[in-house]
Amino acid sequence: MNSFMTRLQSGKGYLISAIIVAGLQTLILGTIIQSRASILSDGAEVLLKTAPVDPRDFLRGDYVVLNYDISSVPVQTISGGIPAEPGERTLWVRLKKQQDGFWVVTESSFNALPPQPETVILRSLPFYGGGLAAGDNIRVEYGIERYYVPEGEGKPIEQARNDGNVAIAVRVSPAGDTQIRSLLVDGKPIYEEPLY
Amino acid sequence: MYRGRLERDLSLWVGKGLLGEDTAGALLAEYDSRPASFSLGRVLVALAAVLLAAAILLVVASNWEAIPRLVRVGAILLLIWAVHIGAALMLARGAVVAASGLLVIGAVSFGGAISLVGQMYHLSGDEQTVMYLWFAIATISAILFRSGAVVVVAGFLSWASFAVYLQNNDTHWIALDPWMAPVMAAIVIALVRYTGAERARHLAYLLLVGWLAWLYTLYEESAVALAFAVGGMAALVLSALPVPRIAFLVRSAGAAPAFYSFLVAAIGFLLLHIKIEDEWRQLAVLGVVTLAASVLAIALHGRDNGAVRYLAYATFAAEMLYLASVTVGSILGTSGLFLFSGLGVALVAWIVIRLERRFSAGAREGRA
Repeated sequence: MNSFMTRLQSGKGYLISAIIVAGLQTLILGTIIQSRASILSDGAEVLLKTAPVDPRDFLRGDYVVLNYDISSVPVQTISGGIPAEPGERTLWVRLKKQQDGFWVVTESSFNALPPQPETVILRSLPFYGGGLAAGDNIRVEYGIERYYVPEGEGKPIEQARNDGNVAIAVRVSPAGDTQIRSLLVDGKPIYEEPLY
Repeated sequence: MYRGRLERDLSLWVGKGLLGEDTAGALLAEYDSRPASFSLGRVLVALAAVLLAAAILLVVASNWEAIPRLVRVGAILLLIWAVHIGAALMLARGAVVAASGLLVIGAVSFGGAISLVGQMYHLSGDEQTVMYLWFAIATISAILFRSGAVVVVAGFLSWASFAVYLQNNDTHWIALDPWMAPVMAAIVIALVRYTGAERARHLAYLLLVGWLAWLYTLYEESAVALAFAVGGMAALVLSALPVPRIAFLVRSAGAAPAFYSFLVAAIGFLLLHIKIEDEWRQLAVLGVVTLAASVLAIALHGRDNGAVRYLAYATFAAEMLYLASVTVGSILGTSGLFLFSGLGVALVAWIVIRLERRFSAGAREGRA
């Protein structure tokens, strides 16, 4: 090990170090890009209604906060019981298409749900559950709560969002991971997301 | 700082005829040639690297649509490859400073690249994972290139990771992630030992102190504060023990272990004071213990460790002023306390002076 490190830190060895470090970074970035792009290209598509609730991320810039109707899951939709003791939880949520084209929660569970025809299952991000829920709804996030926009261009979307006219089309992987495909205002796509 | 003192001492020794002028010049030249010593050129290279890296991060954050995003990803990947290959070539030619600058840009660019991907796909809720990945990449780069500059980047990333954790979880303790802060601190200390980036050590210790302070906000109990005080003092005593193994580790780490141990103990004493404000009998005991702890710290480390010495002076003085202010109801009581403390400190002084004489006598005999 030691002689290996010494060899790395001399002449050509540095080049190997450079290739390892830069290659590793490329690999990580490529993996993330491909995993998201594959959801966009092959995932099942659902249309979600946003609810009115701006901020800026230090590294990723301006974004619009998206809050969905399906972000609060009614307790009565939960099948298989609610764990009594506090701890880290994941909620699986079954969505079904309604007449107006939007998808709503029909069933949810703290265990993985079996697939059913004409429904799509979303998996929430892990969250901290403090035992039996006191309220009627459980707040969950899916990792699609932000829409990043070029600097200073978030206002029109925010306005439309506050008027309740923004809808988001989302692609869902078989595992329940989600990816924003397009942003619609008054039913018309404003931003279509390219694969790459 | 140290160079100025060294130069003064050397000219003093030359003046007294203890040292030849050539030797003094050679000693200074040796100090200047160390990689950690101050050089304006090195500082400017580091500043330039930080500015360039910040520029990259901000270009990403602006989400500039004039450049298609796939081109942006390609450009940042190209940059990552270019700076790492460039750093490798520089290191092979022995240009360590320029290579460090390029490596810093490389380590920071990865954060920019991963943020860019998050922006492209409108990801949210993954900030903690991003911080872990970023820290991991900086660690790997620091090991492979044995670069102290990248260790500093990793040190700051460990803070950022902890900050992201606190922000995302409303400062609650959730799952295993809180353990990442001490783990990252341990990794940074290991990297400091491996690369010799002495100053980055403070980043790790400060992270640990901050982490402990956060623990106290979770469990605001006297037992936790007492644990800080006792644990800190125990670590301080341990760092002064003449056990060869420990002594070697402590000596090679400089002033930091003893200072931060005593800092944690001092924070523990402060929290205990806040906790038991009303119980004056407990407060009197606590006051005496705090004063004794300061004196112990000076006795153990005061000679070689200026940082510990000044923190102990400050603790001692603050404690005296505090006791004076709470016992201000009875001037006679305060006077009695100071009389008692004064006699106690005088006794310790007598013991310490005797010990110091014996040590120096022993050292002289040993040399003769």
